[in-house]
Amino acid sequence: MTLADHDGQLNYQELVNHIYQTNTFDFVGLALKSDDFSRNIKWYFVAGNQSEQFRKIVLRSGIGIAGLVVRTGKPFWKNQLQCYSFADAMYTPIARVESLTSAAAVPLVDSVTRQVNGVLLAGYRHDEKVSEQTTRRLSQYLRQ
Amino acid sequence: MLETKDWIKRYFDEATDAVMIFKDDELVVANQIAQDLQTELNLDPAYLIEVADASVKQKFTPTDNCFSCSIRNSMQEISIPITLASDMPHPLNYFLVYHVIDATDHVFSLTLKNRGTIERLDQLAQQRQLNQYVNRAHEEERKHISEDLHDSIAQGVYSAIMGIRRLAEGELADHDIRHITQVIEGQLTDTLAEVKGMALDIRPSVLDNFGLLPALRVLAKRLEENSGTAILVTGNANTDNLSTDVQSVLYRIAQESINNALKHAKATEIDVLLVAHEHFINLEVMDDGSGFDVPSHQQFNGRSLGLMNMNERVKALNGAFSIRSHPGNGTTVTAKFPVTTS
Repeated sequence: MTLADHDGQLNYQELVNHIYQTNTFDFVGLALKSDDFSRNIKWYFVAGNQSEQFRKIVLRSGIGIAGLVVRTGKPFWKNQLQCYSFADAMYTPIARVESLTSAAAVPLVDSVTRQVNGVLLAGYRHDEKVSEQTTRRLSQYLRQ
Repeated sequence: MLETKDWIKRYFDEATDAVMIFKDDELVVANQIAQDLQTELNLDPAYLIEVADASVKQKFTPTDNCFSCSIRNSMQEISIPITLASDMPHPLNYFLVYHVIDATDHVFSLTLKNRGTIERLDQLAQQRQLNQYVNRAHEEERKHISEDLHDSIAQGVYSAIMGIRRLAEGELADHDIRHITQVIEGQLTDTLAEVKGMALDIRPSVLDNFGLLPALRVLAKRLEENSGTAILVTGNANTDNLSTDVQSVLYRIAQESINNALKHAKATEIDVLLVAHEHFINLEVMDDGSGFDVPSHQQFNGRSLGLMNMNERVKALNGAFSIRSHPGNGTTVTAKFPVTTS
């Protein structure tokens, strides 16, 4: 790991912590595409997690909220997440392992290649609603 | 006309259901089989009337909101399950059907229908439902594959083509070309990963090339990545001598059980055990999820035939299949196959 990477990681963790502390979200997480050949997207930085299960998840493009954000490069949000079960198109693994009832996610776009190389997701556990407003608020943090 | 009457009488006498006609609670007519039953089982018609009477009273007592239910009121007959000769070694299961012939004269009939025949018909109906389900599942599977091909593979290739077109247009600075090739490479790598994943979902080639245990490990890893649930595969089994049929069934049972655990049980840990013994091979899939009441899921529930289908597949290859589960206590699925040692 280079010093630059290290800096980046610290910043991401700080950003996640900051969003978690200054908002009412029960969970905030950031998934990044790895640099190696596998190009897997995994959750590396989280705040408010209730278990370590999130580490096992590998995001699949097009599946679940975060997957749709990766595929389309556009923000996405969804309420009443607990009614989706495994193998449904809207089943979001991170929502299941963190017991989220609603979540909103925005893409992290590489400024040079304009490719999606990560997802920032925040959600609630107790039926609070998310909306386009939530995704706009999350996007604000990435613009800073 | 006389002839027809005779036919009707003969039909009545030879019918396989025991029919008794009562007037004012007194037995008036009974066909041959009803008479036989009465003598053989020492059956008192008054007992049957009691049973029917209790059931009729039950039906017309407004104990629930369904009293004015139009479906219930349009049911002209009342069927009551009844077991005769219950003190004998082979109890006989019947349906007692109560039918009013003439309400003003208090004439009604009681018919005893053999439940064995009805159960056999039920079985046939269930078989038909199973077939239908399997067909539908095939079609669903194809739809799923087709959608995946269209949505992710075709999309990825199309994006790559667009990128290459941009490159071909020329007049690009060096760093632009570098970026675009990077993007195209990324798209193609993602598409490749999708193709590999799909191939694995459809039919794991690992199973054919490396055996059951490695195939289960690959499956577990993929499902673990998709769900975040820890899935551990342990075993010592050398499956080289197993027939491909048995290997496939064991693989599918593991797949279905893990899927069930992820889908319904909200498990946080799943253990898959494949152990070979001298004369049999044993597959166990255990989860720590919410569990369920097994008997209430053994019959066809209209949506999924998962458990029934697994059972059928194992039995077809002379194996044994069992599910142990209690609400709140996790689930264990076991499949056991005999192995011939050469």
